Amino acid sequence: MAQVEKRGGLLRKSSASKKPLKEKVVLMYDEIFMTEDPSKCSPRFWEELFLMKALGEEHPIRVVNALQTLCALIRGVHQKNKSTSGFDIINMLMGFDKAELCMKNLMESLDSLLCAEGSESLKSLCLKLLLCLVTVTDNISQNTILEYVMINSIFEAILQILSHPPSRREHGYDAVVLLALLVNYRKYESVNPYIVKLSIVDDEATLNGMGLVIAQALSEYNRQYKDKEEEHQSGFFSALTNMVGSMFIADAHEKISVQTNEAILLALYEAVHLNRNFITVLAQSHPEMGLVTTPVSPAPTTPVTPLGTTPPSSDVISSVELPLDADVQTSNLLITFLKYSSIVMQDTKDEHRLHSGKLCLIILTCIAEDQYANAFLHDDNMNFRVNLHRMPMRHRKKAADKNLPCRPLVCAVLDLMVEFIVTHMMKEFPMDLYIRCIQVVHKLLCYQKKCRVRLHYTWRELWSALINLLKFLMSNETVLLAKHNIFTLALMIVNLFNMFITYGDTFLPTPSSYDELYYEIIRMHQSFDNLYSMVLRLSTNAGQWKEAASKVTHALVNIRAIINHFNPKIESYAAVNHISQLSEEQVLEVVRANYDTLTLKLQDGLDQYERYSEQHKEAAFFKELVRSISTNVRRNLAFHTLSQEVLLKEFSTIS
Amino acid sequence: MRFLEARSLAVAMGDTVVEPAPLKPTSEPTSGPPGNNGGSLLSVITEGVGELSVIDPEVAQKACQEVLEKVKLLHGGVAVSSRGTPLELVNGDGVDSEIRCLDDPPAQIREEEDEMGAAVASGTAKGARRRRQNNSAKQSWLLRLFESKLFDISMAISYLYNSKEPGVQAYIGNRLFCFRNEDVDFYLPQLLNMYIHMDEDVGDAIKPYIVHRCRQSINFSLQCALLLGAYSSDMHISTQRHSRGTKLRKLILSDELKPAHRKRELPSLSPAPDTGLSPSKRTHQRSKSDATASISLSSNLKRTASNPKVENEDEELSSSTESIDNSFSSPVRLAPEREFIKSLMAIGKRLATLPTKEQKTQRLISELSLLNHKLPARVWLPTAGFDHHVVRVPHTQAVVLNSKDKAPYLIYVEVLECENFDTTSVPARIPENRIRSTRSVENLPECGITHEQRAGSFSTVPNYDNDDEAWSVDDIGELQVELPEVHTNSCDNISQFSVDSITSQESKEPVFIAAGDIRRRLSEQLAHTPTAFKRDPEDPSAVALKEPWQEKVRRIREGSPYGHLPNWRLLSVIVKCGDDLRQELLAFQVLKQLQSIWEQERVPLWIKPYKILVISADSGMIEPVVNAVSIHQVKKQSQLSLLDYFLQEHGSYTTEAFLSAQRNFVQSCAGYCLVCYLLQVKDRHNGNILLDAEGHIIHIDFGFILSSSPRNLGFETSAFKLTTEFVDVMGGLDGDMFNYYKMLMLQGLIAARKHMDKVVQIVEIMQQGSQLPCFHGSSTIRNLKERFHMSMTEEQLQLLVEQMVDGSMRSITTKLYDGFQYLTNGIM
Repeated sequence: MAQVEKRGGLLRKSSASKKPLKEKVVLMYDEIFMTEDPSKCSPRFWEELFLMKALGEEHPIRVVNALQTLCALIRGVHQKNKSTSGFDIINMLMGFDKAELCMKNLMESLDSLLCAEGSESLKSLCLKLLLCLVTVTDNISQNTILEYVMINSIFEAILQILSHPPSRREHGYDAVVLLALLVNYRKYESVNPYIVKLSIVDDEATLNGMGLVIAQALSEYNRQYKDKEEEHQSGFFSALTNMVGSMFIADAHEKISVQTNEAILLALYEAVHLNRNFITVLAQSHPEMGLVTTPVSPAPTTPVTPLGTTPPSSDVISSVELPLDADVQTSNLLITFLKYSSIVMQDTKDEHRLHSGKLCLIILTCIAEDQYANAFLHDDNMNFRVNLHRMPMRHRKKAADKNLPCRPLVCAVLDLMVEFIVTHMMKEFPMDLYIRCIQVVHKLLCYQKKCRVRLHYTWRELWSALINLLKFLMSNETVLLAKHNIFTLALMIVNLFNMFITYGDTFLPTPSSYDELYYEIIRMHQSFDNLYSMVLRLSTNAGQWKEAASKVTHALVNIRAIINHFNPKIESYAAVNHISQLSEEQVLEVVRANYDTLTLKLQDGLDQYERYSEQHKEAAFFKELVRSISTNVRRNLAFHTLSQEVLLKEFSTIS
Repeated sequence: MRFLEARSLAVAMGDTVVEPAPLKPTSEPTSGPPGNNGGSLLSVITEGVGELSVIDPEVAQKACQEVLEKVKLLHGGVAVSSRGTPLELVNGDGVDSEIRCLDDPPAQIREEEDEMGAAVASGTAKGARRRRQNNSAKQSWLLRLFESKLFDISMAISYLYNSKEPGVQAYIGNRLFCFRNEDVDFYLPQLLNMYIHMDEDVGDAIKPYIVHRCRQSINFSLQCALLLGAYSSDMHISTQRHSRGTKLRKLILSDELKPAHRKRELPSLSPAPDTGLSPSKRTHQRSKSDATASISLSSNLKRTASNPKVENEDEELSSSTESIDNSFSSPVRLAPEREFIKSLMAIGKRLATLPTKEQKTQRLISELSLLNHKLPARVWLPTAGFDHHVVRVPHTQAVVLNSKDKAPYLIYVEVLECENFDTTSVPARIPENRIRSTRSVENLPECGITHEQRAGSFSTVPNYDNDDEAWSVDDIGELQVELPEVHTNSCDNISQFSVDSITSQESKEPVFIAAGDIRRRLSEQLAHTPTAFKRDPEDPSAVALKEPWQEKVRRIREGSPYGHLPNWRLLSVIVKCGDDLRQELLAFQVLKQLQSIWEQERVPLWIKPYKILVISADSGMIEPVVNAVSIHQVKKQSQLSLLDYFLQEHGSYTTEAFLSAQRNFVQSCAGYCLVCYLLQVKDRHNGNILLDAEGHIIHIDFGFILSSSPRNLGFETSAFKLTTEFVDVMGGLDGDMFNYYKMLMLQGLIAARKHMDKVVQIVEIMQQGSQLPCFHGSSTIRNLKERFHMSMTEEQLQLLVEQMVDGSMRSITTKLYDGFQYLTNGIM
């Protein structure tokens, strides 16, 4: 339609003259909109429209023109008829009686174009058309025309694109976004064949291809962000920091923002959530992105054939060669995703970032529930150095990246959660994100407890982050209570501690880490005392929080037992030894000496959790998310990526 | 002058080999369709060495017996003059070139016979006659020996090496067929080294056996080809090219020696290319050539074939296999395996270029994950003791080992055991993600204790504190943390629900637990499970090696898509690139020999020879010792003395576990002290001594033995390494165990001395044509023999052991060397 309008504009100018001189194309377009079916009176009408010269039936230029016209037409019709129902639009475009056949033909043509060994630009245009078709409405589920896309599946074509390295490099991104959107069509209301099909894909090449596309997009974002950040730091900013300290960091920081990519994140979510085989792709190691993006044409690979089928000329050493060099770190999709999350989650102020941050946490929740994912997260042999982005803050220096230890991946996940906890205690309290964050930690602990994984992690950081969060909840009680039920969160935090207290023997790395837990609780006993009096107060009042608060009081029973047991002993130790301030070592000594007289209560259900379920709780969020993605995709769709000139060159019949 | 007996022996042998010839068609289904292989057979023969197409061991044995009988008969009374008869008989029979492989060309025999006949006839040369008589006496003694039950493979090798008589050599060459394959396999390096470096007669005697075995076994072929290459490498390049060793190697690699019987047996189970599909599918696939039909094939390759070029190659390949298919043979059967080995070596080479261990490890993992895309395949690990196909390398488990400038690494390899490597088809590929469907969260084995067990395991303790305030709000009914009833999908929901029913419904009493119990449990569990090592970026292998093997097997099996198969096995192998393992192989053989000597003599010394695969003069593979870490790693990780570490791992002094570990330690120490002394093993720092989970020590790295020692710094002059720490573990200098240790050494030395020849022979033969540093100088063998002290009385030997132990104890050089290693290599 864009074309049509443009020409229309020209027309208006020239129409000032008495004799409107019209190009033939314009005349023909006029004809389309005037009569019922121009091909009735002139059977060769469409051919004439799409091919100025008498080109063959299947000539690419003809196809290109047709595709572009369809894009314009679909979009135009929708733009002009925003309030019209989907059925009316179908009627308008094709007529109900013919719609089914029309769409079947269209989808079949697109499918064969996408799968054929044909031109890459044609394939690209096909995908653009499909994306255009999918995103014409804000709410994808109201786009009735997609029913035909459901019936005439192009799922297989999408998979084929993803499984072939050359086509994946060219079209992978569009294909993945298209798939993510199609999966969200009437997700909760009807049986969407794309959901069913995606959930059972098990072809390694396809899944890996999908993973690579996602990893590439995410790491591109990470790279852009890093570039911008460096730009900022190397400028006036670094000089300023030196002088004024880090006062303005937060302000300056907000300027560094790169457009987040929710579409690709949604694709990652759908893959992780729907397809259980995709989890393995997360851990597929690939060299750090950037190197791979440069078309690794004829990869100088190995005996790519299965070994048993090697040609007799075996004296020629064909060796496995990875495009790696010494200073390129091996990475995988999960690491890239964690880095991405660390950037996105640091700032949840604007809507997009809040969405992205939430989606990241949802994906992490799915990962933390998955047995296989947990197995490789906790694999002692798969150690990585994950450079998470850390928000510069007043009271801490930016950690030097270089000294990061190489650890199992779960440490990076926990680091990310701790980082989130300590950086989001603000008035605009992201309660929902906090709950998800604590859930992720809890799920990981459940796995560790169950499989007796003794992770060498600095649990202390987590404990103190959690206690600080409790403190924050209490000091902002009135403000927060106006908007949130803070007791759910408080209960979850307390129960994390209960998990450590009751089941610490099954997953803590050393006996002294158990002592440290007690030390931390005793050291911060004031916070627990305060929490206790708060929940006690609210649970005895007959207010709306009575029930929620009383649950917390019950959950606090062991923590209070610990505090009440050890505090007097520590005091008497101090008195006997005439020490005013006990050192950590001394407190630990008291702790170690007095375990045996401490009785705890066995609490139920500490190691249980509710599994993630999209259908009931998250539907609204995903509807909103898909709406914003649709708008975004539509806005960014570029039809004119293929200039007429290039096309003519490519498809020229005169050689 | 040749000896009559020897000659007649040889000739008669030729004779008897003829006899079973008529049986061949029935007993030997191997000749295959005529004409099919004829060309190759001929070409083999024209190579100059008689080619025994196939000799069945039974047939060979029968032949040997008959030879001996005949010879006996001749000795018994037949006059010298009548000896012409059997000779005539042989020649008269017109021995077929195909089966006559052992004897000299007939012309030569006749000539010699004439000569001999003349000598006998003239009867003048008294000296010659006397010599002949002596010799015939010796010869008959020799024959009796050959015939006796005592005549084992070790003697056979010894006579093969020492005898200068072609007849004897040929006889022994034939006799090889009578020994068990495993027995001969042990001496394969010796046999091949003789084949390469000794005169033609020896070579001719050995070759038929080698060829025969190569036909039988693809693994044997590989080993021969590798050893022939490695042991020819010390030759000058110009001689090497034309040497018999190189020729035989080419013959083996050329695939002429593929098992003949496969042609018959395998039309259905053709060893065609491994597309990872079942045989039936494969045949189907071969027949179709159109693009659509090959989807399954190409989808299988897509994963790996990322560029069109390779895909083309593959198409060519499939078409070429199609054409070869008619003759039912695989395209060069050793090729996949050699390529597999080359890939592993290439990885090692590339790793060596990376600066840090961490980078090496990460790179290794990515490289192996690529390699995985090509598995399963018709490849195997030659260090394994059973037939199998390699199906997967659990790449994340691989570790880079400690080495200063090279990059040896250890990989675990998943294999599927099979009856016969040649006839079993390659297992179908199971995609990595397939494991998801076989193992879901719900089926996750519970390895933690359940809530229920936990509740039961705590003795309900009295509430010491009686801290009413802490429990004040306990309204027992409400105490339960409420659970969402519907969606709970806890890991252990079954036990959980049963607990719920017990604890919350039946008894409303809260369950109390003691904090002390939790803490105690934690320390106990950490103490009981053999301590895991902490991750050390500088020593990535420590953790992997410390993990108990069984646990590792279980863990890897759980994570493998092939793990559910009953014939799934886990193997491990160290890939060494840039290291000459020929000395290691020699040490392995000597250790193995000593082990069997001590076993035979019932001396409870413990040593652990580990298998070596020599791939070339600068690469190879080593079978890792499982459940063992180096003493260096032990000390660095535990920060304990060796004795304290023993106490930590096995329990206090009086426990059964400690005592048995201590006994193992003593027996292995004594064993290795003798090994170190006899072989003059040097470079004995704690990084080269392993400690296994049962308390045994295991010496590794035999890079400096016999005549070579590191950098000639004059360190390590003591007979073996015996530090005070070792003595402490044994219970101190005055303890019973230390006396036991010395007694074991004495017994071991006496036993070894008794069989010195068996040990020396191994070394001596390998010295032929070798430029290995361990053979440097001219006195290697003499010195080795001297260390057995043949002339000493047992009392003197006892004194010697005492002196050596004393010397090693007092030796500051051991200590100094450790200090030196600590300074230079950071080894504790």
